[in-house]
Order: sequence, then C-alpha cells, then structure tokens
Amino acid sequence: MTMDFFSNLGIFFQTILQLIDNPMTILLLLGASFLGIIFGALPGLTATLGVALLTTLTYSMDLETALIALISMYVGAVYGGSYPSILINIPGTAAAAATALDGYPMAQRGEGGRALGLTTTASFIGTVVGMLALIAFAPLIADAALQFTSYEFFLLAFFGIIISGTLTSSDLVYKGWIAGLIGLALSCIGRDQLQFYPRFTFDLSQLDGGIEVVPVLIGAFAVPQIIRSMRDRLTLGKPQPIKRILPEFKTIRKNFKHIIRSSMIGVGIGAVPGVGEDIAGWVSYGTTKNSHPKPENFGKGEPAGIIASETANNSCIGGALIPLVTLGIPGSPPAVMLLGALMLHGLNPGPMVVINRPTFLYELCAIMVLASLAMWLNGMFLAKHVIKVLRVPATVFLPIVTVLSVIGSYALGLNIFNLYLMIPVGIAAYLLGEMDYPISPLVIGVILGPMADENLRRALMVGEGDLTGFFERPVSLLLIAAIVLTICSQIPAWKRLSSRLIARFLKRSEGEQK
Amino acid sequence: MKRIASFATLVLTAALSTVSTAAEYPTRNITSVVVWGAGGGTDTANRIVAAEMSKFLPTRINVINKPGGVAGSLGMSYGYSQKSDGYTMVGISESNVTSAVQAGWDKKFSVWYPFIIGGSPDLVSVTANSPYKTLKDLVEAAKKSPNSIKAAASGSGSIHHLNLLALENGSGADFNFIPYKGSAPGQNAAMTGEVTVVVTSLAEQQQLLKAGKLRPLAMLVKGSTTVDGVGEIPSAFDSYSGLTKYLPISQAIGMAIRSDAPDEAKAALTEAFNKALATDKVKKWAADSYYQLSGKTGAEASAQFASLESLFSWTLHELGATKVNPADLGIAKP
Repeated sequence: MTMDFFSNLGIFFQTILQLIDNPMTILLLLGASFLGIIFGALPGLTATLGVALLTTLTYSMDLETALIALISMYVGAVYGGSYPSILINIPGTAAAAATALDGYPMAQRGEGGRALGLTTTASFIGTVVGMLALIAFAPLIADAALQFTSYEFFLLAFFGIIISGTLTSSDLVYKGWIAGLIGLALSCIGRDQLQFYPRFTFDLSQLDGGIEVVPVLIGAFAVPQIIRSMRDRLTLGKPQPIKRILPEFKTIRKNFKHIIRSSMIGVGIGAVPGVGEDIAGWVSYGTTKNSHPKPENFGKGEPAGIIASETANNSCIGGALIPLVTLGIPGSPPAVMLLGALMLHGLNPGPMVVINRPTFLYELCAIMVLASLAMWLNGMFLAKHVIKVLRVPATVFLPIVTVLSVIGSYALGLNIFNLYLMIPVGIAAYLLGEMDYPISPLVIGVILGPMADENLRRALMVGEGDLTGFFERPVSLLLIAAIVLTICSQIPAWKRLSSRLIARFLKRSEGEQK
Repeated sequence: MKRIASFATLVLTAALSTVSTAAEYPTRNITSVVVWGAGGGTDTANRIVAAEMSKFLPTRINVINKPGGVAGSLGMSYGYSQKSDGYTMVGISESNVTSAVQAGWDKKFSVWYPFIIGGSPDLVSVTANSPYKTLKDLVEAAKKSPNSIKAAASGSGSIHHLNLLALENGSGADFNFIPYKGSAPGQNAAMTGEVTVVVTSLAEQQQLLKAGKLRPLAMLVKGSTTVDGVGEIPSAFDSYSGLTKYLPISQAIGMAIRSDAPDEAKAALTEAFNKALATDKVKKWAADSYYQLSGKTGAEASAQFASLESLFSWTLHELGATKVNPADLGIAKP
C-alpha cells in the first residue's frame, strides 16, 4: 500500500512536470482560468454554463488537454463569483452569495482589495484541500471496484437520480424526482444498447442513435439562464473602488481553524450528488458564524465570513469530483457538465476507472493543483482588470453567450438536429424552472439513464429474469437500503418518527454530558 | 522566381511522365484522413506507418482525423469526395465495413483500394478463479449444459462478437452471450465474475492477463503467442480443427485510397507501404502493442475487406441492427 502511495505520488509529480513543461499547457491553464473568472464574475453566467460552453470547444482536443481547460474553468468560475459579491453586492454565482454578506461591507469601508486578496487565497487553499480529499478518499471507494456488476451499476445510477432529485428541490421533493424521471425517459429515446430495438424514435433517423447529451445540457443550463437574465434586465451598480490586492497570508493564518473547518464542510457537501458550491458556501458561513467568538461582527465586514464561504465553495470542487471519479455520479451541477465532457472524450468515470485507467485520478489531481495555482496568479495580478468586465452591460454579453450556445451544440458532429433538440429542451427547462422544478436531476437523468437502462436489462439477462440477484450481493443491498431510506425520509409520517427519535437521542446525550 | 521554378517542374514532370510513369507520383504531399478519433488504435497505427512511408516517398503523408457519423461515415464520405488522384487516403479499420448497412453512407467497401497494416489478434479468456484451465475444459462444459456459461465480447455485431460466434460454430459450444458496450466493460465483467468467458483482442486484454485477473485459454488465430509474464497461449485451432472453417476473423487496421485512383499511385504507395512495414520501427511498435502485422495489399487486401464486409453486414442484419438490407447493396452472403 505504501509502495503504491509513493508510486502514485510519482505519477502525480510527473504529470505536473509534464504539464508545466509545455508552454501551450500553461497558456491554456491561465487562459481557461481567466475565462472562468470572467464567467463567475458576470452575474447571470455560472460555472456550469462556463464548463458547458467550454466543453463544446474541446471536441477536437485530447482528454488531458480538455481536462486542463475544463477544470481551470471550473475552479476559476467558482472563485470569480466573489468579485461582484464584494464589489457590487450582487453575487456572480449562487456559490458566492454568502461572500457578499461580509465582502460588500468590507469594500464599502475601502477594504475591497483586502477582501479580494482574502477570497483569492482562501479559494486557493480550499481547492487544494478539496484535491487532497479527493486523493485520499477516492481510492477507498475504488477498492470496492470488483464488487460492481450490472446489478450495482443499475442501482448506482438510480440512486444518483433519486438523491439529486431529493437534494435540489427547493419546495417539494417530488418535483426533483419528477425532473429526474423526465430525464430518465428522455434517455430511453433511440435504439437500445443491447438489442438495437428502436424506442420512441418516430422513424426519425436522427433519433436513432439516441439524444446527444451536450445539446441537452446546453439547452437545460444555458437557455433558461439567458431567458431569465434578459427578462430580469439585470442592471449592475457601480463597483466599489479597490486599491492593492495582496495575498493576506497573515489574516489567513489567523483564521486557520475556520479554513480547516470550512474546507471539510465544502468537501462533504460537494461529495453528495446534486448539491454543490452554493449550499457549501452558506453552510460553511453559518457554521463559522456560530462558532466564532464574535458572531455579531458577521455581516458587517468580518474577514472570517469571506474566508468561510470562499474556502468552502472551492473545496467543494474536489468533493464533487469524489463521486464523479469513483462512482460516475457527479457531485455538483458543474460536475454534471464535466461528466458529460469526460464521456464525450471516451472516458467513463466509475468504479472501473482505477482498472481501466489507473493513473487518471492522479492526473486529475495534478491538473487541479495547477488550475488552482493559475487561479491564484490570475487573481493576484489580473483581478484589477477583470473587474472591468463588471461594466459590460448584459445586452452585450448575453447575445455572445447565446451565439456560443448555438454554435457549441451544432459543432458536435456538425448536426443541425442538435439545435432542434437544444431549443425545445431549453424552453421546457425554463418553464420547469419557473414552476420550481430543479433542472440538475433532469440532466443527471439523461446522463445516467443509459447506464440505468442498460445495466438493469443486462442484470436481468445475466440472472435469466430472476430478481433475487439484487438481494444476494452486499453492495447491491447497501444501495437498495440507501434508495429506500432516501425515499422514505421524504414521507411525512417517517419524518415525524425520525425527528422524534433524534430529539430523544439528543436529550439523552445532553443528559450524559451533564 | 518561384513561378519559374514551378513552371519548370511542370514541364519537367510532363516530360518525365512520357519516359517513366513511376516518377510522376507523388509530386506533392499526400493527406491521410483517419476516420476514427485521434489517439485511438487506427489513428496510432496510421500515424506510425505514414511517418515511415514518408521516408520512402519524395513527399510527406500528413495525417488528419475526421471522426464521426456512423462507423466512420463522415471521414469516408469526405475522403471519397476528394479527387481520385491518389493524394487523399483514408485511415480505416474493419469496423468501417458496417457503415453502409447502417445507412452511414451508400457505398460498398469495394470503392476503396486498401492497405492492411494488421491488428491485434482475438483470444478467449476466462475469469481467473473459474474451473476452466484449457479451451477443451470450457467447450466440453458448454456442450454439456448449453447456453448456461455466460460470455462477453464487446457489443453485439462487433468483431469480438463475430469471433465468439465463430468459436461456437467451429467447436459446437453454446454460450449465453451477454452484450456490453465495449471491450473494457466486457473484460471487467469477466473479472468480477458476472460472465465467465470473454473474447476481446490481446492488446485490450494484455494488462489484465499480466495482472492475473483473467486466465487466457486460446488464441483465435493460427499459431500460439507468447506474452511476457503470462507464458505461451496456444492456438484454438490445435484443439478444434473445425475452427479453420470460420476463423480467423482478424482486425484489419490500415489505410486506403479510392479504387479508381491511377495505377502509378497504387504502385508507388504499395512499394512505400511494404518498405515501411519492414522497418524496425514499425516492427517494434507492433510487438510492443501486441499487434500482428499483415502487410496485405491489392487484390488480397480487397478480398479480406470484402469477406469482412459480408460477414459483418449479414451478422448485423440477422441481429436486426441494420437499416439497409445488405442484399440491396449487393453484398453477398458469407
């Protein structure tokens, strides 16, 4: 095991050296990270959208190059959201919403530069901690790789859809499940993978191969975003002036405790499928406030507040990649997009990736380290210029994004049918969003649908129609239990019962403490 | 100056062409359009051989990729739409023969004049802890209880599936075929024990064989093969001579020009191709990546592709996976 660890460490450093040896790679790293920051900084554009649009530009790249671009974009965008939070009190992405609470008051006090320096370093540390978590936890899960057969793969895909539906619904959990099932239904279109029987193709040859994931992703994530931003006619306030941006190592050192806690929260939340950076930022902010000696300072420009939300939302990236790499289930909405991109490049993440491509995890981590470095450098030296984009009106950048979305969908196989797919999906996603249906489960349904479908049918083939196979295998049983619990926990009667149990348990442990 | 030079070249080539036809081709760089993605098996093979061929030609061969469509139809349509002057090649593999019956395009494979580099031979392996030590053990067990031993071989209608079918036909064994979307998931399933038997290529299996995660039983080609750290893998033909009627069905990775290209282009390329395949560099690459070099050109290569086309098209048709009836395309039954 230790031998393994050192040889893996070797691969890790080798990859880093290889990557920085190539000037094109460095350019790509810095460029993608810079673009990411802009995507994050412009309110109305999100990390998910950035990764989605960039994916369409990576069709012709090899996997590693594509990953460098996409990860840098992801890391940059999650970080970039803090700029407008701090300077104009409008979060660039939902992930940076908590940052505005203390960032804007600091900027009003004339400490905008300090706040930006803090976010930059905190985001950097967060990303690196997330990466360390990924490298530490992923092999543990992957150790069980050989336990995964068609039964488990089906349950895994189904669990991914259910849990993301559960966690992303803002009001009724059923809406998340409905969205997931819509996605699952969409994924059934086309010839089935095992016996080539055409399903729901309406004799359209374009539907024969199934629906392409990328146009659906762009339709579902980009189109509603564009419609909404145009509808709301977002006007931005004048940014607060900033002076110099310094790394603020001193303040960071003083808040070390909060950084560690926030990173752990970020990793934990990121690892849960479907919930992402936005929730991580809030939870971490709340926890830090509650445990801080002076909670009354929060909301008035307390550096620890910024550190809390920014460390957590960036460490969430590594967390979100844990289930993505090991189980093939994306942990956050941008990771959904990343999964789509990986599949496009012929890599199917999942338990078998350690066997099929043993070095992948370490390559990925090497790229993450470089991406966070690129982000930090961009933040330190270019932030002053990046914030100029905040003066660009939405009427200028939204049409650009629209054109990019259309080109991106079309460019996949130069197929005009992709546009006929993207637009209706986009409009449907917008309408669903207006009715408070979450969109991520729908997209996860489309992505994981073929995995669920193919493996369920193969499991039945292998078992010759017998279902007992599902109940004879340990991992399979565990997954069934997880699915049943997820569903049951949403039933009101069950909720009442469990809250009563928890209350009783808490009372007893309090009693013990006394 | 440049104009004069090119005019002079023109005159010179025109003059030379009356004297010797061999010197006429090629006068400018050749483009090879690989119809599969960059970094894949077909791409790598084409790039290595094209680089060696360039050394024996007065001009270079530039390799580009145009993947996409149905079974490489995008790249093949593009390559076919260029002039038939021998300056555009396509980088192809055996799977491209299915493009026509899947309505990727409407041409038979005989529109190409292929050069076959080779491919990795298929072999039959079993889960490492299964009771079958030899091919005989396995076949006898399968004969005793037909359709009970589960076998994986990549997707339905893939080259590995065809090899599995041929193994069944030639040995009389009857397996329960479980389809997987590719070779890797099929091999994984054999490792986990979800299936017992797997038929894929040596290149795809070698790492798992070396790690002891799969047990090789027999090569599905003539002659045994030795793999470092695994030992000698015998040929299936030694135990079941009836197999020769159905096997080998070999991977055929290679390149092609339009079959109506000028004869001097075919001759020049064939010469360079043969020389390239004889170089140590190509030989070493083949050995390292567990490929068997073929070197078939001309009528021999065309015949191999024609038989692959017939076999693939009709098997897919029987599986219900075709959109165009092979008979309508004039593809004869195997």
